[in-house]
Order: sequence, then structure tokens, then C-alpha cells
Amino acid sequence: MTSPANDRRKGSDTAPLLTVDNLTVTFQRRGQEPFRAVDGVSFSVRPGQTVGLVGESGCGKSVTSLAIMGLLPKRGNQVTGTVDYEGTNLLTLSDDDMRDRRGKDIAMVFQDPLSSLNPVIPVGLQVTEVLERHRGIKRKDAMPMAADLLKRVGIPDPNRRIKDYPHQMSGGMRQRALIAIALACAPRLLIADEPTTALDVTIQAQILALLKELVEDTGTALIMITHDLGVVAGLCDEVNVLYGGRIVERGDRHPIFREPRHPYTNGLLGSIPRLDTVGERLTPIPGSVADNLPWDHACAFAPRCSQPVEVCTTNTPTLEESGGRALRCFNPVEVAR
Amino acid sequence: MTNPLKKYGDARKERIDQLAAMSDGSVAVADAGTIEEAPGVSLIASAWRRLRRNPVFLTGLTITTLFIFLAVFARVIAPHDPAIGYLLDKVRPQSNPIPGPEPGFPLGADNVGRDFFSRLIVGSQQTLIVGVFATLFGLTGGLILGILAGATSGWVDSLVMRAVDVMLSIPSLLLALSISALAPRPSQWTLIIAIATVQVPVFARLLRGTMLQQRSSDHVLAARALGIKRSSIVFRHMVPNALGPVIVQATIVLATSIIDAAALSFLGLGNPDDRQPEWGQMLGQAQQFIYDDPHLAFYPAACIIIVALGFTLMGESLREALDPKSRR
Amino acid sequence: MTTTEHEAPGAAGTEPEVLVDVQGVKVHFPIKAGVILDRVIGYVYAVDGVDLTIHKGETYGLVGESGCGKSTLGRAILNLEPPTDGKVIFDGVDIASLKGEALRTKRQDIQMVFQDPLSSLDPRQSVESLLVEGMQAHGLAKNAKEARPRLRELLKAVGLPVQALSKYPHEFSGGQRQRIGIARALSVNPKLIVADEPVSALDVSVQAQVINLLEDLQEEYGLTYLVVAHDLAVVRHISDRIGVMYLGSLVEEAAAADLYAQPLHPYTRALLSAVPIPDPDVEDSREQILLTGDLPSPSNPPSGCRFHTRCPWRQETRCDDERPQLRVVAIDGVVEGHRVACHWAEQIESGELQPHAVKAIAIDPSASDTLGGDLMGPASLTEAL
Repeated sequence: MTSPANDRRKGSDTAPLLTVDNLTVTFQRRGQEPFRAVDGVSFSVRPGQTVGLVGESGCGKSVTSLAIMGLLPKRGNQVTGTVDYEGTNLLTLSDDDMRDRRGKDIAMVFQDPLSSLNPVIPVGLQVTEVLERHRGIKRKDAMPMAADLLKRVGIPDPNRRIKDYPHQMSGGMRQRALIAIALACAPRLLIADEPTTALDVTIQAQILALLKELVEDTGTALIMITHDLGVVAGLCDEVNVLYGGRIVERGDRHPIFREPRHPYTNGLLGSIPRLDTVGERLTPIPGSVADNLPWDHACAFAPRCSQPVEVCTTNTPTLEESGGRALRCFNPVEVAR
Repeated sequence: MTNPLKKYGDARKERIDQLAAMSDGSVAVADAGTIEEAPGVSLIASAWRRLRRNPVFLTGLTITTLFIFLAVFARVIAPHDPAIGYLLDKVRPQSNPIPGPEPGFPLGADNVGRDFFSRLIVGSQQTLIVGVFATLFGLTGGLILGILAGATSGWVDSLVMRAVDVMLSIPSLLLALSISALAPRPSQWTLIIAIATVQVPVFARLLRGTMLQQRSSDHVLAARALGIKRSSIVFRHMVPNALGPVIVQATIVLATSIIDAAALSFLGLGNPDDRQPEWGQMLGQAQQFIYDDPHLAFYPAACIIIVALGFTLMGESLREALDPKSRR
Repeated sequence: MTTTEHEAPGAAGTEPEVLVDVQGVKVHFPIKAGVILDRVIGYVYAVDGVDLTIHKGETYGLVGESGCGKSTLGRAILNLEPPTDGKVIFDGVDIASLKGEALRTKRQDIQMVFQDPLSSLDPRQSVESLLVEGMQAHGLAKNAKEARPRLRELLKAVGLPVQALSKYPHEFSGGQRQRIGIARALSVNPKLIVADEPVSALDVSVQAQVINLLEDLQEEYGLTYLVVAHDLAVVRHISDRIGVMYLGSLVEEAAAADLYAQPLHPYTRALLSAVPIPDPDVEDSREQILLTGDLPSPSNPPSGCRFHTRCPWRQETRCDDERPQLRVVAIDGVVEGHRVACHWAEQIESGELQPHAVKAIAIDPSASDTLGGDLMGPASLTEAL
């Protein structure tokens, strides 16, 4: 399942399918100070492109995806900015209009396939449901299509499995079923939120191969949300590194892995043991997200940074674009890895 | 009045000062990250912090505190002796069986001329005694059985739980009725024992469930791996962590046992001696005058409801505060 | 293991001293059914005959996917999960046969670090009482005051300030909690630490802190580790020797570097090829062996070689009916310590046998799924409330 990278850069001059601009999500909980989980995030994804949102827990990557999908509860959450899908700002759509879009134009695959599937409905029916709702296909006609979809995502013996309930399937099979549901209406944008985190590594390889194939064959745009830099390295064309709700670095995967410029990106790469290199001592990032500074007057990462300078604790760094990359740092890393 | 952004800024300044103090002017944190200087806050303490600000809890607390105060000092507060028929001469069985309010007797008297207001106040005493003791006995019995079942496994557990199942399968009021009926002479103690018996299986089952949860929890496994003595594991690690829901349940049982006591007294199974008033018993006696003098039923009923509500509010807010999911 | 060179024990120099000798350990969980009387209707063969030795001062990595029995084996070595069969010889004593007080006091020598640092710390105990408790249980300190100097030393060793003593587990970050868990394990001066997925619940940046800490502590206190993990890269980084488990048994065992350089078992090959590497150049050029199908249920394991249902090199003979034993293979460049349980390891390595397509067999995991992810133990099997 290897694919030359140059193949996957196709459509690099086509117009973006989805453009997220200055997306900000503020949690307002009773008795607590407002908390900006996502803070002015902007990126875009073109048809056939895979964009990765990478970061650790609490960096805002999942909230970003939920905000795009309009799945954040209205109460207690304030979402601003624009999410432009082919000229329509998804954030201004009514609940009904958004519901129509979800599943048809944009689909999502979640981390935990068991809790994302309805436990009391056979998997096949959950696929046909989408077909019935969004494409107005009768159940009788939808059944063989559902079987086809299950077959396409690599579920063996689909005609029999179509009647299975989620608990009768293994974790890998469930994730495939979930992808089949997501693909039912041939969405042009797929958002995958940690789709392989709950799976074993051999099953993860199968699912990643499936996603890769899908993007290449159908030109679906894919937003891949993950904490695993290994997954990103193999799958994503463009990588957005998030920290504390903001994008701190963006670039195509080769340059970003070869020459990470943000100390956080660099620190992450230094933190993960690699299977293919002999055990050098790891260089962890000290502290945890609890040590962050507020972005308002500083760089949130400064306390954990390997090379902070004075200005890092007094001014907010901005995201500067240059040469296809973007960086939010006063004192970037200069040395190539 | 406070500007959130300003607070934010202050927090930041503090943070930077703290970092600066820690690491000679540079902002870097230690490998493990920082921890606050302030002393630790236990779960109980943080639950209390949440409770203190919870209006529901404060309402419940106020009601129950007033009630307990009233019950403890009832004899001092009550203007008259509840057993003496001061207004007996005003009772005329044919025309006007219940004397109305008059100076010194704000709620009038009952059908034998005793001061109704004083009887209500003193009645709280019996209600509190029955409620507290019934809950206490029920809780003790439940704790013993629950810990026994939850800490051991195998046949002890099976035996205890089957017995508990049998008790639970009998309708609670019926069980209480039978126990009261078995007593040679009804008194408030038969009431207490009857109600306590009904509560034992409830507590036992609840505690066993939480104990089992604890037993299969990681921290108990960790304690075993550490080589901690078995008794220490049970009483230091399992029981304290299993008690939360039981304490909440106890608060709510206080409310239900007050209602149960009232119900049994109403049915005539409580203390027959009406010189010692009790709200349920007063309610029972009031039923023959319900058409002409509904206030005789209304006041004790209202008292029962308010006190039960007080305990329930407290229990519910305790449940919320102790719920691990609401922990930050 | 703190240096860059991983020395393969047994490969050179003197024979290392054996600390733990695991002999034919099996852990079978009964599956019970019945309304009134429980009846055993089958077994989950979580660990089904494992032999391994752990040498003094080394780090042994146990790796495999969920359901392979690695965690159960780790617990069986501590006798937290009494083995159904087999021996665990530790310092000349069979831990598996110990009970009651003898087992409890022996626990001082073997400690455990857990996956989830929050759930493995009693939420109602302060750090001080969490750390003192073990010392009291083993007579190392009478009370907290007496233990004070030792507590300071422990906290310093795991990189936490002294103020942590008065705090409670919920007041720490994940990485800090794991440090407390490690300090607790260290508090009783153990010889062996079994670390069950010690970093998998932590953020990537924090994982590295804990990995480095474990390495430092090993050097400082001369500890021996058994690290159980699903993340091959972590295991490869931290271990001197690695055992790969599949469905309750070891399929391959070798020094960390040898295992990566020359995996001999088809499953190990597939596993290694599936691990994503954070380097686009490597990712673009690598060849993956994609396994089809899922892990069979451990309550009904395949006959013969457990892996034959998914193996791309499966042969007509032997694989289906003859269970392979761990053996040293006669291949050039393969050192003595490298053992593999495959009938055809030589032929696969020489290229004589080529992989073929495997038809995926749909597995109904409902039987095993209800038993919990990694087969936690009988408590969770029969007493699921």
C-alpha cells in the first residue's frame, strides 16, 4: 500500500472545498471563566487533499471538527468566524439545513466506533438509513447498496454481516462500518477524528490504507485529526500543528517533518521513540498543558519551550506565512533535524 | 463587576512571577511541570467547597437545621404542655368539637383541648427520633451486611445477597406492618425497628455494589500489588470510596423514614400514647375531623413534607457534589 | 539501557543472572453461565503456556495487540492473577504457589506501575499517605514522620517537589500522577517493576518524560523492568529484550535490536511493518504487510499455530494442526538468544516461501468482547454488575 507522494499532491491548484477562517470556540460554563478552546483557527482543504490537525489533548483539534460539523451544543458554546463550504458559511445555516448537509456533503468518523453506532439497530440498516434520508432511496433498493459499501470498506461476507448488530463486530469491523456509513452519500469532505486511536496497530494499518485509497480514488477531501505524528507522516499532505487552541505551525508534510521550525513541533518529534532508530535518549517537552500561559499577552507554549526569549512572555506571536509554511513563533528552531 | 479579561491578566502575572521565582528568571518549567504551592484539597474538602455555594444544599441545610433545633429544644419552645387539655371546657362534642385559635393558643386546640401549636412543636421530637434512629439502625445493619458481602466473595456473599433479595421482594410497607404487628406492644421503638429493617437490604445492596466496583478498581489492585494487608485494603481503600452513595442514600432515607413513620402511625401502628405527640399520629387522629377542621391534618402534613423536602434537597445536592463525574 | 547501545544478554560476555524464570504459565478464565448455579461453559485462554526469563538489571519488553494476554501475563507474574498452571520462580521462590501472608510480604520485591495513573491512585489518600502505606506494610517505616526523609528522596527521584506530599491525586496532571505511581512502586525497594502500559494514557510529550524517568531510575536503583505495552516503538526504545505475544503465547523473543533488524515470525513482520513512523520519507517508501481479518477469540483459539488464520505464509502442512514451539533457528546472522515459534521461519527468511493472499474470515467477537478488552480477570468476568 505504498503511494508515491507526488501522486497525492494532485489538485494543488484547484479551489478549496472548505475554508475555515478565524474559527473561535468559547466555552462559557456557569460559575467559570470563559475558556477559548479554539482560538482563531484558519485553514483550508481542497478536493483530494488530506489535511492533518495534530496536537495533544486539549489543543482544540476535536472541538474544531465538531464546530465545523455544527455538532457543538448551542448552550454554553460561542462559535465565531466562518466555515466556508463552496460559498456557504456553515456556521450561519439553520439546524435543519445543517442536518441536511451532514452525512451528504460532509461526513465524520469518530474515535470510538462502538459508541458512535446505534447498538440496537443492525449495521446494514444504519447504512441504508443514511441513503434513505439523504438520497431518497427506498430501503429495498438501498440494501444492496449498503452491502456494496460494506464490501468496499473491506468487510468480508457483507451480505451476511449487514444484519449484524454492532456488538457482533470487532473493533476494526465497527470502524469500517462507520466509514461505510460516512461514505454512503459519497460526501466530498470527510472528517476523521482519531479514527484509529482505539484500534490495534495492525488494524490501524488497514484503516489508514482504506482512507488513503478513498482519497486517491474518489477525490474526497479529508481532514485528519490525530495526536499520532506517525499517522500524519504517512497520510497527510498538509499538517497543521495546534497548541492551546491555536495553529502554531503549518506546512506540507515533508518540510514540516524534516525542518520543524516551531519548538513545539520540534519537541513533539523529539519526544516520540522511533522504531527505526537506535535508542537515543528522548528529549521530552517539560511540564504539561497546565503550565500554559494565556495567549492574550504571551506565547502559551513559552513555559515549556526549549528556547524562550524575553518577548515570548510579553507579546502574542502571530501566525506568519512564508514559502508555503506558516509559523507562530518569536524564536524559531533553526537546525534541521 | 469583575472584568474576566483583567482577572485573566492577573492570573498571568501571578503565573509569570511564580515561574520566575522558580527558575532564576527564565520562564522554563521543571520536567514534571509545576504544582501549586497551596496545600492539597481532599475530595471531601472540594465537595464541601462546591456545596457551600449551592443554593439547593443551603435551603435543605436551613430546613433540617431548623427542624433539628426545634426538635431538640421542643419542650423549651413549646408554650404549653402538649399532654394537658387546657381548652377541654371549650370542646363541645355536639356543635364545636375543635376549639379555634385564641390568645396564647395560636392554632387552637385538638379534640381534647390540648394546645395544637405546642403539639406540633413537640411532635417534631418523636419524628426526629424515629427518623434518625431508623436510619441509623438501617445504615448499621446495611453496612455490616454490605461490607461482609462486598469484602468477601463466594458463599458468604451469595448467602447474604440472597437473604437481602428475599427481604427486598416483600413490599416495604407490608414488611414494616408485619414487624410492627408482631411487636407485643406498639411503641415508637417498634416503628423504628420496622422502618430500619426495611432499610437494611437497601443499604446492604447499595454498599455491596459500590464495594464490588471498588474491588475491581485499579487502585485496589495497586494496593494489593503493593502488599497492603487485606483489612487495610478493605477499610482504608474500599469502604471510604464506597461510602459516598451510601451517605447520600442515608440522607434520602432520613426523609423517607419520616414519611414511613408517619404512614405507620397514621395506620395506628405507632406509639398509641397520644400524650407524646407525633406528626403521623396527629395526622391519623385528624382524619375524623377532616371536613370541618382540615387544619388539623394540614399542619402536620405540611411539617412532614417540609422536613422530608429538606433532607431530600440535602441528599440530592450531596449526590451531585460527591459524584466523581462532576469533579474537575 | 540508558546508553545508546543495547547489549543483547547472552550474546556476549558472561551469562547474566536470572531474576525471574517463568515456566509454562497458563491463565485460563472460566466462562460461567447459569441462572442459579454457575456452570463453567468454557475458558478464555488468556495466557496459554509462556516460558521466559528476565535477567537481573535488564528491561524485558512484552508486546502484542489487545487480547493477546500480555497484561494478564504481567499480572500472573505478580500473582495478582493466580496462574492456572506453571511456575514463576523469583529469587528461588515460586511466586505462583505463594498465598496469604507469604505472598503479601514477597510483594515487596515485585512492584507494579499501572496504565491509568488516576484510577490506580486512591482518590481519597494524600500523596504522603499513598507513599507511606507500602512502607508501613513492609515494616520499612512505622509512621509518616519516620518516613519523611525517604519520602523526600522518593519525590526527588521522580522529579516532584516536596509540596506534592500534602496534595491529592486529582490535583496533578497525568504525567505527575504517573510519577507518583512510580514513586509508590519504588517506596518499598523492589527488585523488579512490572510496568503495564506505563505511558499509553499520557500525552506524547509527557510520555517521553516518563520513559526517560524510568531509564534514569533503573540506572540509579539497579532495577529490573518488565514493560508491557502495545506500542512497539516505546517497547523497542526502552527494552533490552522483547517478547512478542499473540493469542496467549510468545511467538518470538529476541534482543530489541535483533528483533527489529531481522523479525522472523510472520506476525512480528506484520506488526513491525504496521507501525507508522513519523518520517514522510520512510512512510512513502516502506512496504507494509497488511494482515487481513481480526484477532480470533481467545476463548476459541485456532488449532495448531494460533496465527495460521491470518498468516500470509501459511502452509498446507503443520501450520493448522501442529503448535509451534519457541526455538532457536539455524539462520546465518541470527544470534542464540533469538527464538521464534514458527515451523517455516528458515524458509520464509531465505525467501523460499513467499507470502500469499489470505481470505479474511469474519470473526464474531461478541463472545470475547463481553469479557472486557484485555481480559482483566475473573472479577470483571463473572461479577459484571
